[in-house]
Amino acid sequence: MEKRQRHRYVATYMILALLMSLIGRLSSLSVTVNDVECVYEYVIYEGDTVAGNFVVVDHDIFWSTDHPGIDFTVTSPAGNVVHTVKGTSGDKFEFKAPRSGMYKFCFNNPYSTPETVSFYIHVGHIPNEHNLAKDEHLDPINVKIAELREALESVVSEQKYLRARDTRHRHTNESTRKRLLGYTIGEYVLLAMASALQVLYIRKLFSKSVAYNRV
Amino acid sequence: MGESLISLDRATVLPPILLLCLACYICVVPVTEAIWLQIPSSGTKCVSEEINSNVVVLADYYVIDEAHPEHPPTVSAKVTSPYGNNLHHNENVTHGQFAFTTTEAGNYMACFWLGSNPQKVADATLGLDWRIGFSAKDWESVAKKDKIEGVELHLKRLEAQVQSIHENLLFLKHREAEMREVSEVTNSRVAWLSILSLGVCIAVSSLQLWYLTRYFQKKKLI
Repeated sequence: MEKRQRHRYVATYMILALLMSLIGRLSSLSVTVNDVECVYEYVIYEGDTVAGNFVVVDHDIFWSTDHPGIDFTVTSPAGNVVHTVKGTSGDKFEFKAPRSGMYKFCFNNPYSTPETVSFYIHVGHIPNEHNLAKDEHLDPINVKIAELREALESVVSEQKYLRARDTRHRHTNESTRKRLLGYTIGEYVLLAMASALQVLYIRKLFSKSVAYNRV
Repeated sequence: MGESLISLDRATVLPPILLLCLACYICVVPVTEAIWLQIPSSGTKCVSEEINSNVVVLADYYVIDEAHPEHPPTVSAKVTSPYGNNLHHNENVTHGQFAFTTTEAGNYMACFWLGSNPQKVADATLGLDWRIGFSAKDWESVAKKDKIEGVELHLKRLEAQVQSIHENLLFLKHREAEMREVSEVTNSRVAWLSILSLGVCIAVSSLQLWYLTRYFQKKKLI
């Protein structure tokens, strides 16, 4: 009896260890998109929720209409497009994986200026009651823990999105500050130069070297 | 930021047999969390992340090639800190890993390019498992060391995650405060510089007027 209990204990631990490594896969990185950049992520279980976000961070453009944004496409292993967003500077996405396999997340930059995209992809799995019935070692509490874990992962995902957006906002602010200073000083200098040129021209009009000394 | 001279990406079609092998591999060993990238045949592929200081970074990279499983193409890797220090450099390997604790906050970049290969290779696929902070912690060793398992380990892990969420939130709050200060300084500068611009305009035009009056008086035209 005790040996069986110990075996059961070991089996539960092993299953939990396996579950721990399988539940929750994530990656958060920035990549520079010149034309098309694709990132692949493997989804193990069908029905897993794939959630994530991306933000275009580096934005050194002059007018905002110059670059409306990038396109984002998610392709399933079967080849059909699962999710697509066009002309955006950052978005969150979430979908249920219709099948397991290698999913392709592509960023497409339709313009020539390279953009830096910061993205975060998370594949979350919650063991459901079907798995529970199949495997008697799986405790119902594990389902609850998995749900809790997924809720925390969604908070983490939101935080990463906010952080990326904050970085982008920071760039805009810095650019505004530099532009303000630069253009204003330039404006003063130009104004002084224009009025000096005006004075010089009027002087020339009234100078003795002009043939008719009348204006 | 990135120095990638990336040619147009073409879709990689994985044959079903590879998927089966991959599925078997994953069932046998605990799977590593990784994304796959395409390394172009010429040029480098760089990924980067903005990391705070004092954060553990753990990464593992390996080449995946379906065409030549026995002679996979080799890649070279280089990891640089925001100040340009070289943290990791590896040439012509099929897999490698690096770990470090960040000393300064900034943009950490990992670049990959194809190493020297005897045969000409097209784009190679690289699997990158990049973990920082909370996810870099090795929970199996913690379980063995403290002799906790099962639900308790899960809950300890969740507690550590909540801790890291809290730290992130404080960091975001700090950043927002900094940015608000910059915005308010910019706002006050706009007001001050606009008034100054009006002042400069009036000063310059009155100077002009005064100089021209003096000039015409000297010329006895007025």
